[in-house]
Amino acid sequence: MIASLFAAQACAPSECFAVPANIAFGICALLMIGAAIKVVTETNIVHAALYLVVVLAGVGVNYLILQAEFLAVTQFLVYIGAIIVLFLFGIMLTRAPMGRSDDLDNAKLRPAGIGAAVMLLVVLGGALLSSFGETHLVFSTANSTTALSDAVFNQYLIPFEVVSVMLLAALIGAIVLARRD
Amino acid sequence: MFAIDPLLESVDGSAVLIVLLKVVVAFAALMIAVMAMVWFERKVVARMQNRLGPNVAGPFGILQTLADGVKLFFKEDLLPREADRPVFRLAPYLSLVPAFLVFVVVPLGGDFSNDRHGVVSWFGKETLVQVADPHIGILFVLAMSSMAVYGVMLAGWSSGSKYPLLGSVRAAAQMISYEAALGLSLLAVLLNSGSLSTNEIVSGQSGWNWNLWATGVVPFIVFFIAATAELNRPPFDLVEAEQELVGGFHTEYSSLRFALFFLAEFMNTITMSAVIVTLFLGGPNGPSFGPGWLQAILPTVWFLAKLLVFLFVFVWLRGTLPRLRYDQLMDLGWKLLIPLALGWFLLLAAFKIGQDEGWNRAVVGVVGTVVILLGALLISMAVGTARARRAAVEVEA
Amino acid sequence: MPDFVAPTLDLHALAPEFVLAGVVCVLLLLDVVLLDRAKAIVGSIAGLGLLGSLVPILTLATSDHPTRTMFGGSYVVDSTSLLLKALFIVSAYVVVLLSTNYIGEGDYWESEYYTLLVSSVLGMTVMASARDLISIFVALELLSIPAYMLAAWSKRDGRSNEAGMKYYLMGVFASAILLYGMSLLYGWSGSTQLSEIGRAIGEKNSPAVTLGVVFVLVGFAFKVSAVPFHMWAPDTYEGAPTPVTAFLAVASKAAGFVALIQVIGQALVLRMNVMIPVVAVLAALSMTIGNLIALRQTNVIRMLAYSGIAQAGFMLAPFVASQYGGIDAIVIYLVLYAATNLGAFAVVMAIARRTRSAEISSFGGLFSYSPGLAVALSVFLASFVGIPPLGIWYGKLSVMRALIESQGRWATVLAIFVALNTAIAAYYYLNVAKTMWFDDAPEGESTPIKVPTSLRFAVGIALVATIALGVYPGPLTDAATPEATPAAAPSGR
Repeated sequence: MIASLFAAQACAPSECFAVPANIAFGICALLMIGAAIKVVTETNIVHAALYLVVVLAGVGVNYLILQAEFLAVTQFLVYIGAIIVLFLFGIMLTRAPMGRSDDLDNAKLRPAGIGAAVMLLVVLGGALLSSFGETHLVFSTANSTTALSDAVFNQYLIPFEVVSVMLLAALIGAIVLARRD
Repeated sequence: MFAIDPLLESVDGSAVLIVLLKVVVAFAALMIAVMAMVWFERKVVARMQNRLGPNVAGPFGILQTLADGVKLFFKEDLLPREADRPVFRLAPYLSLVPAFLVFVVVPLGGDFSNDRHGVVSWFGKETLVQVADPHIGILFVLAMSSMAVYGVMLAGWSSGSKYPLLGSVRAAAQMISYEAALGLSLLAVLLNSGSLSTNEIVSGQSGWNWNLWATGVVPFIVFFIAATAELNRPPFDLVEAEQELVGGFHTEYSSLRFALFFLAEFMNTITMSAVIVTLFLGGPNGPSFGPGWLQAILPTVWFLAKLLVFLFVFVWLRGTLPRLRYDQLMDLGWKLLIPLALGWFLLLAAFKIGQDEGWNRAVVGVVGTVVILLGALLISMAVGTARARRAAVEVEA
Repeated sequence: MPDFVAPTLDLHALAPEFVLAGVVCVLLLLDVVLLDRAKAIVGSIAGLGLLGSLVPILTLATSDHPTRTMFGGSYVVDSTSLLLKALFIVSAYVVVLLSTNYIGEGDYWESEYYTLLVSSVLGMTVMASARDLISIFVALELLSIPAYMLAAWSKRDGRSNEAGMKYYLMGVFASAILLYGMSLLYGWSGSTQLSEIGRAIGEKNSPAVTLGVVFVLVGFAFKVSAVPFHMWAPDTYEGAPTPVTAFLAVASKAAGFVALIQVIGQALVLRMNVMIPVVAVLAALSMTIGNLIALRQTNVIRMLAYSGIAQAGFMLAPFVASQYGGIDAIVIYLVLYAATNLGAFAVVMAIARRTRSAEISSFGGLFSYSPGLAVALSVFLASFVGIPPLGIWYGKLSVMRALIESQGRWATVLAIFVALNTAIAAYYYLNVAKTMWFDDAPEGESTPIKVPTSLRFAVGIALVATIALGVYPGPLTDAATPEATPAAAPSGR
């Protein structure tokens, strides 16, 4: 996973990048699918959270393959470094069961779940393949971080500011609801 | 520019070899440095406490670490009955790997003066004296330091025992809290350098133009304190407060797995010092003189010298300061360091804008200071309110 | 790399948002500075702040060039968006009036309550101007997240906790679906701007676009509690503190519609063949099922919740006739619905202060001991039914006119549904009125209900708006009709 972070820079011409990128994507996709299935079937909540880390890291690696380094590092920093850590933190600090709990995996609903998942897979997969199947990636050489920050502080200035108010409001509300009084 | 490292502009066999060489050398150097650091720490602390320290294995006891390593290697590997086996086995590696990875973005040498960006020529190829230089270099450091929480947290949880769990919860809370201060003080550096790449940050500090004073010392102090806390080193080593928690999150670990945690801890100390040197003290920048061969190795020498200063300071802190109480730790982080780093960042940003717009520096300074003092007043009022409420609740109870 | 170019900001156009953001900060800091003394004034400050943000809206509406565009068309301030912003702000002001006694007397965190309320309103005003996917999504989250938490604001009440939890989980689920749909639309068109997306999906259809459109519509259907995505609404409305319920039922729902108006009116209108069936089915189901369940309710708040679902159906229907003034009809309907619904909530709250319950049976004989409230509630109920010249009749008229003028198959079917459901709805609305006027009062209920000034004021505002806009809807129609209709499309129905 880390190797590809640096491999992503290794090859300038866009053609010679396609094959390794596809191989990396294949491996990463398989890992993600396996881990995602484990997230929902695992009966130990901490293990489920750890499998979720694998899925999220896989997303990060996909960003790397697409040469969105900034996005990838943000994915690692925010999702893995903060959100899942807080999940685990919450599990450890509260009275939530920390070991195996069999009601985490609802075996009775499994056929229904599998049915829904397969249907969604067919519909989404079919739609995406037929719409974007012929699209080829263009590996750009621009510094995506600069482009991203320019967009955030220009075209998306208002949503950016609004997000900060949103976080403030979420913070206040969460504190009020969670505090003991 | 696609690849910042000129080596990667055209890739051939020898380039691959050079990259491999760099990886191997960096790895080996870090391992040797860790060994030396363990010895150094024990020796210096011993001196501070009027003891001799290790003095049996090898000259000045320098082989002591090796001897300890061999001992740990041959000890029985215990797995507690209540442990969550896969996670228990995984945790040490989660600690170790991020510690290693941070090192790859640190520039270890190369001439940064006169816009040369640290490019050196090895075997007829131009390259950088660092394993990799991604655009987002410094964010990578932050990401890895946030990964490091996992090792500590999962080690404590998977041990299936209460002291390690308490230790790991403490550690996680501490590391998360101080990561905010770390990031905010880092922002000042980024504002000054205008880049996330470690190479660019070092280039921007050539010719004594170090970020240490370019950002006005405060971010450096905040960063250093936060880094100490992030490393769980004294005086912030509540994670392994022996009196309260036996040994902290790694109480149940023994043998090689314990050695891995131990290794990770010292490795983190070294890499964090290296990051501080890179960010604030100009990395390998320094006066250059003498014949060609000396000029080639001088930057690395400067880098190591600066590194040594910080390693000594970390040991010094350990030898001098008593451990903080937990509430003091949290107060320091949330109520002092974070607001301070944020306020300073805003002040620097105001100066930066003032420079672009041609405002009077003095006016910007005065207005900025007044705003920050107002903010400080509000924060202290808020803290006072909270304290008064808590006191009122306690009186009622 | 080209140098960064700072965007040009039209500060006048952004002034309402700035005022609201300022009010949020002031409310937060007051608590810090004044401690418990702040409790007495936070409500007034919030109310005054909301009224203050109306000032720039008025100056914008009367300025020479009321249509202002920023960020290359991502943020548009025109007469419709000003009308909607005013709607949100006035609704929130009425909610603040409803809250002053309720929140002050209960065991609530006051200044935080108003902070969240105002920040939610800020999200709504941004939504009214947002013309690109990211702004819309972020605005939607800003208006929903405080609402999730306000629904759970009576912390010791299990039903309130349940309300907040259900609303939160459903809302987040809906956001996820919405976001996925948005990402598909963005992936296909390569732009986040609605007009660009409209152009791209209008030129060429693909399965991804179809999925994207359906997902976006489903995501918003959750927010406006359209059947079959309405499950959260009754429980949330019943459990949440009543002023919050009023806020959710009016402002929050209106914001969902505003988002739909932007997305459908600017982009999806060019992909009619996908959009119309989805919207039509949602609308028909919402009207019918909402009404049928409302018939069986014995609790006024639950009844208002289900009737709100049915009203959402009425408001969804004209999207089918988007090119024939349908969107204007929705805006008109929204304003009238807000006035009527807020009024109804205000009266129910006033009554519930005495009776401690919102059961319909407890309203018996209200006319005999509190005639003023009974008359006010009757006016609002009559407006819900659509009796001229009270408020919503004009909304229903606009909806029908748009549906009939478009002459599409779906529109015609929907017109029939609207007519049928109006008849069904009349039964349960008038049933409440009948209880108030003709049933006997419970034992010992003879003294008139004392209504606090703020509630009285709220009822007054709603009453004036309901009657005045019903009698003289001209200015409303003018404001709701945009000067330039969005991209005229081929009538591909």
